[in-house]
Amino acid sequence: MKPLLPLRSLIAIALSCGFSVAPIRGGSAVAVEDPAQQSLHELKDQFRRPAHVPFPKANPPTPAKVALGKALFFDPRLSRSESISCATCHNPSLGWSDGLPRAVGFGMVSLPRRTPSIRNLAWGAAFQWDGRADSLEAQARMPIAAPDEMNMPMDAVVERLKGVPGYAALFREAFGDDEPITARNVTAALATFQRTLVSGEAPFDRWISGEESAIEPDAKRGFAVFTGKAGCAACHSGWRFTDDSFHDIGLKAGEDLGRGKFAPPGVIAMQNAFKTPSLRDLQIRGPYMHDGQIDSLDAVLDHYAKGGEKRPSLSFEMKSFELSERERRDLVAFLRTLQAEPVSVTLPQLP
Amino acid sequence: MRRLLIVSAALTTLICVSRASGEDFEVSIHHVELQDPGLKAKVGDTITFVNHAGIAHNLYLTYEDGQIETLDTQPPRTSKRTVLKQAGHVVVRCWIHPIIRMELDVAAK
Repeated sequence: MKPLLPLRSLIAIALSCGFSVAPIRGGSAVAVEDPAQQSLHELKDQFRRPAHVPFPKANPPTPAKVALGKALFFDPRLSRSESISCATCHNPSLGWSDGLPRAVGFGMVSLPRRTPSIRNLAWGAAFQWDGRADSLEAQARMPIAAPDEMNMPMDAVVERLKGVPGYAALFREAFGDDEPITARNVTAALATFQRTLVSGEAPFDRWISGEESAIEPDAKRGFAVFTGKAGCAACHSGWRFTDDSFHDIGLKAGEDLGRGKFAPPGVIAMQNAFKTPSLRDLQIRGPYMHDGQIDSLDAVLDHYAKGGEKRPSLSFEMKSFELSERERRDLVAFLRTLQAEPVSVTLPQLP
Repeated sequence: MRRLLIVSAALTTLICVSRASGEDFEVSIHHVELQDPGLKAKVGDTITFVNHAGIAHNLYLTYEDGQIETLDTQPPRTSKRTVLKQAGHVVVRCWIHPIIRMELDVAAK
């Protein structure tokens, strides 16, 4: 049976009304959920944090492997110049990104894309802005070996690490092999460390868990807009606020075809398509989009409200909509509730 | 009696044609999941993917030899159909949603 009102209306009503009280026989009363509340609860369930971090069977975590991965992540000797580590771009002080519109690579050359945050990748289905890596292990070697990034072939990484006193013991402790310093183990350790980087509990999470006062009414209304008329949750879904899907959202297009570079030319929808980023711990000050071409959250909302540039590859999910000033403020208030207190990070002592 | 024989003959012919051109299977898409009905398919069978989700999909099949067949963008409440071309392991995925995955083994005709 279909609800009599659209879901967004039900949610809006639920957010403003709360529980209803219905009388029962015998003169007493019990709180029962009205259909709108039930829909809201079902919706909120879709955004509930998982209890555990998933790790692949082929690369199970151990404290030694995480410690090794952390050391490698912060070690600039993984780059040809010995001056760029993974953390150079994925800086924990900047939300595991760099705060720049576009990343800076080998030789201080500006790269075509923004550095994505690397939180919550343990749940990822595809990696890189274009999804060309299907596992974190596969992804880990890409920026190291890319000539315009760290510019260090993996066999050269292995040789260099073998020459660093102290790494042999760390690798042996993590992998237990006779010859443990291998390219495969480098990427396995890096991937394992990255899987431990998980967003902290945000006010939104506490609201989802039942703490009604965890977020303000404006943020609750913003959630209704987000999941309703604005259609954001079509892609920014689940507890990570991304389904790892790829879309052309009608941005100003350049030479970078995104996923279109890897999909057959006939797959029009993948032209100018990039991965849906998570909205958790969003850097409210920007920059935004895969290439940092939008520098304010207001401009992002404008872009989505207008529906993006009309072209054959434009995502089916991109539809223009009206957004009042109050709805705009509510949406931003909601997005702020996805920010957790920063987790303190202890830097590793490198061997 | 003669009319009954003619009808019976026609029905038999229809069934044979249907069997000769393969079986039809239907797979539903719900949000980012393919409802795998546990297909026992063979070369020449037809799979129709019905999008019951509120979002668009763009499915593609990868045959064991690496050949890819893309079914084009599939808005909500639309269907896309493919006839299985090769025996062996086939993986069905979505260009838009990499989380979608269904695997099946296609028997020879």
